[in-house]
Amino acid sequence: MTKTIYGMMAEFDTPGALVNAAREARAKGYRKLDAYSPFPIEELSEALHLHKSRLPLIVLIGGILGGLTGYLMQYYVTVLYFPINVAGRPLHSWPAYIIITFEMTILFAALSAVFGLLALCGLPMPYHPVFNVPRFALASRNRFFLCIEATDPLFDRKATSDFLGTLEPREVSEVAH
Amino acid sequence: MTASTHSFTAPADLEKGIKSWRTRALAVGVVALAAGAAGGLGNPDQFFRSYLWAYLFFVGVTIGCMALLMLQYLTGGAWGVVIRRLCEAATRTFPLLLVLFLPVVLGISHLYSWSHPEVAAADEAIRHKQAYLNVPFFLGRAAFYFLGWIVFALLLNKWSLAQDTEPGSRQQLKLQLVSGPGLLFFGLSVTFMAIDWVMSIDPHWSSTMYGLLFIAGEGLSSMAFLITTLVILSRSRPFSEVITRRHLHDLGKLMFAFVMVWAYFSFSQFLIIWAGNLPEEIPWYVRRLHGGWGWVGLALAAFHFAVPFLLLLSRDIKRNYNLLTAVAVWLLVMRMVDLYWLVMPEFRKGEFGVSWMDFVIPIGLGGIWLAAFTWQLPKRPLLPPGELHLEEALAHGRD
Amino acid sequence: MAEICSPLRLPLIAGRKKPAAVTEDVCRALTRPPSGLWWAAFAAAFALLLLGTAAVSYQIATGVGTWGLNTTVGWAFDITNFVFWVGIGHAGTLISAILFLFRQRWRTSVNRSAEAMTLFAVMCAGIFPVIHTGRPWLAYWLFPYPNFRGSLWINFRSPLAWDCFAISTYFLISATFWYVGLIPDLATVRDRLASTEGGSLRHRLFSIFSLGWNGSYRVWRHYEVLYLLLAGLATPLVISVHTIVSWDFATAVIPGWHATIFPPYFVAGAIFSGIAMVLTLMLVARKAMGLEDYITTRHVDVMCKLLLLTSGIVALAYGTEFFTAFYSGNPYEEFVFLNRAKGPFAWAYWTMVSCNVLVPQLLWFRRVRRSMGVVFVLSLLINVGMWFERFVIIVTSLHRDFLPSSWASYRPTIVEVSTLAGSFGLFFTCFLIFCRILPVIAMGEVKAVLSHGQGNGGEA
Repeated sequence: MTKTIYGMMAEFDTPGALVNAAREARAKGYRKLDAYSPFPIEELSEALHLHKSRLPLIVLIGGILGGLTGYLMQYYVTVLYFPINVAGRPLHSWPAYIIITFEMTILFAALSAVFGLLALCGLPMPYHPVFNVPRFALASRNRFFLCIEATDPLFDRKATSDFLGTLEPREVSEVAH
Repeated sequence: MTASTHSFTAPADLEKGIKSWRTRALAVGVVALAAGAAGGLGNPDQFFRSYLWAYLFFVGVTIGCMALLMLQYLTGGAWGVVIRRLCEAATRTFPLLLVLFLPVVLGISHLYSWSHPEVAAADEAIRHKQAYLNVPFFLGRAAFYFLGWIVFALLLNKWSLAQDTEPGSRQQLKLQLVSGPGLLFFGLSVTFMAIDWVMSIDPHWSSTMYGLLFIAGEGLSSMAFLITTLVILSRSRPFSEVITRRHLHDLGKLMFAFVMVWAYFSFSQFLIIWAGNLPEEIPWYVRRLHGGWGWVGLALAAFHFAVPFLLLLSRDIKRNYNLLTAVAVWLLVMRMVDLYWLVMPEFRKGEFGVSWMDFVIPIGLGGIWLAAFTWQLPKRPLLPPGELHLEEALAHGRD
Repeated sequence: MAEICSPLRLPLIAGRKKPAAVTEDVCRALTRPPSGLWWAAFAAAFALLLLGTAAVSYQIATGVGTWGLNTTVGWAFDITNFVFWVGIGHAGTLISAILFLFRQRWRTSVNRSAEAMTLFAVMCAGIFPVIHTGRPWLAYWLFPYPNFRGSLWINFRSPLAWDCFAISTYFLISATFWYVGLIPDLATVRDRLASTEGGSLRHRLFSIFSLGWNGSYRVWRHYEVLYLLLAGLATPLVISVHTIVSWDFATAVIPGWHATIFPPYFVAGAIFSGIAMVLTLMLVARKAMGLEDYITTRHVDVMCKLLLLTSGIVALAYGTEFFTAFYSGNPYEEFVFLNRAKGPFAWAYWTMVSCNVLVPQLLWFRRVRRSMGVVFVLSLLINVGMWFERFVIIVTSLHRDFLPSSWASYRPTIVEVSTLAGSFGLFFTCFLIFCRILPVIAMGEVKAVLSHGQGNGGEA
């Protein structure tokens, strides 16, 4: 075994070519794949067989917590902790409390969405091996990349590189660790 | 699969099915309405109340369909193409609704206390409103609303039919052009219709939000009606080849939006009146939030908003034919309850109660209206072959 | 990528751009030295900002007495400005969130700058209630927190407390939404800078704020869900914000304020004025920065139609209010509305009606919508009209209240006018700086819609 690498990467000109390549690689049996593109491509999730994002569940929980926090805070303060008659309104003025409850629901839901994304994706990510490929800087502009990772059981430097070569890429390169 | 290879006319078996539905709806409708009318001889007050309430529901669905039709021309979204012909068929029932408005006219003295000169004479507030609330002006305004609705329905139907034989942007442009003023008229007419036909039952109370409550409710009920009809029709050609979960998802989202808009308007009006707590405003809610009516109000919050809201949050439900239809039918029922809660507490001050006519008359009116709708529906291809967004709308469905 | 488009769809982006060209067109402005026009605009905006800072400093040092308020008219210029600026902000959220949910893909060219506008507008709005408190250093008293002042809590039944929650949530969520949308573009700029000035401070800052984004699919799929969720959350939020602003008035019992139609009426008005402000900014930006291929006449056309729609809703609300004032039979309501149309502030009322209802009717004509100069003038007029709308609602409902003996008038002082000017200065200063340091067009999103309608050729 020589020095370990992160994977093999192929560069494509169009999103269509990337989607095709991802499909072929899946068909060939590769499972540890990732695609890199400057904008999201609808067909790719299906080509890569990614399962559903768990983000909505996180947001739902965040929203429920926010709503409960908002309502209970108001209830606690105005009914239990410091009951005082304000403008003749009932102590438990639920119509008025709905508003802050709503705002807190949105606030918590949105914040849990953002922090959920960071957690699910492991961002911020100070280092990632794909950036070791010099031409990868174009992945955020106008090129599309497919990477087969070395942890894939079928991965073999030569065979994988040859396979990627058959997909008509612009270039195939090794991704150093 | 291009537009030209499709035939969008209802095939013979579907037409036969629609026809048998129509016959049944008509028979049930006529019998039920006759029973209601017979009861009305003994208790005219109750008859006219139940009739007004049921009428508001069906005229609302029809107006809502027309508004959605115009909205889809203006936004040019793919969602509207598949329901376009259903909306058109609904708008062609306006002449029938004009005829069905006659009992309301006959019932003016039973429904609206301001129509009695002696009541007006004794009441300063009503006297003040006599310039607006008087029978000739009331009838004139109703005639004006119907005139507008029928004219817009005529134009929308005429140019849409012309597009079938002359595909292209010429008719589309005309349809778009009429839709702008049409929506403006829709906003105005529904606002004043709501004031005239419903709000004025209590001539002392007024709320500027009132018309919008009806606009939201009509949008919701027509959307629910269209989803239900579309799903039923999707069992057969041409819709079975065209309609997919994605179309349903889009329509479901719109219905979801209307649920929220309805709740938003209703809550805003309630909060403002609750916070103001003014003697001329709050009685309206006192009548509706105490005793039996209070339970109806609570049921509205729970089942007209909370439960459908939670269900429609789910993408899977919006993409499921049966579940989405179940929610849609549920919302149609709740819309009737909502109208009941707006109309009836005025007549049964503080006392909750339901009459047998409240069951018979909506069935009667509904049967007749549905018969008219199903009579008009197969008269044209069920999808507009000349529609410019058609290909896109159909392709949108293919996953 | 065979996307089926109806023959009516025209390309969203003119000039048959390729993704690489989009990167270049948008990023060029970041590295090129600013033009003379930019410096002139910046100098003017900054001067206004300084004027405003001086006015606010003087007011804080001296007291709220430097304003023209009196016992009868206790709210006037400051709250007018507050409502005006919050309203401006709403168009940004409309474009970024609501139009996203409705899959209106033309929004991609304008959403970034519209969202930036939202942030700056909400900042401007926030200033006014804070300085109106008189002791802005105690502004944190507006929030509930356990304290040692004899269990003193805020009044949760007051719309002003709701405002506090709504505006701060709105600012936070708008900022988050904007930043999340920026991340992929920050990565694009980072990668572009790496080749030209790798290691520079700017490159390092872009590296930090792009969070190591690499465009991986494992990230994109969550990201897309996040964007959809944030749009879904921002939509009810933006509606709630202006609704709550409207409740500041509507939950009171003052004739002219206490109207149930206020929430949707305020929301429609906010979007109306906000779209007008977006148009003002975009028409200048596309000229000044050479973005005509991205912000095409078609974008302007669609926004003009939105103006027409919201103007219609606002007009319907004016009409309904006037009608109900008569219909309600309440003499005070009737008086307030007659006083608006015929009283001492009739000039403000008629300015409002002309600018918000009459002038926008020109937009029914296609030729008007396609002529940039006319649209620019209309957008300015609409904002004048919408500012006066808030002024009319606030001042005319207060200045002649139930007791004729307490009737008073109101006249803004130089301090108030300078503060308003200063808020414009702050807004434009922020916007001009934004144009210089961040990509003004959402490159990632534009690249995704480049092919849209391209088959139909022609320019919009």
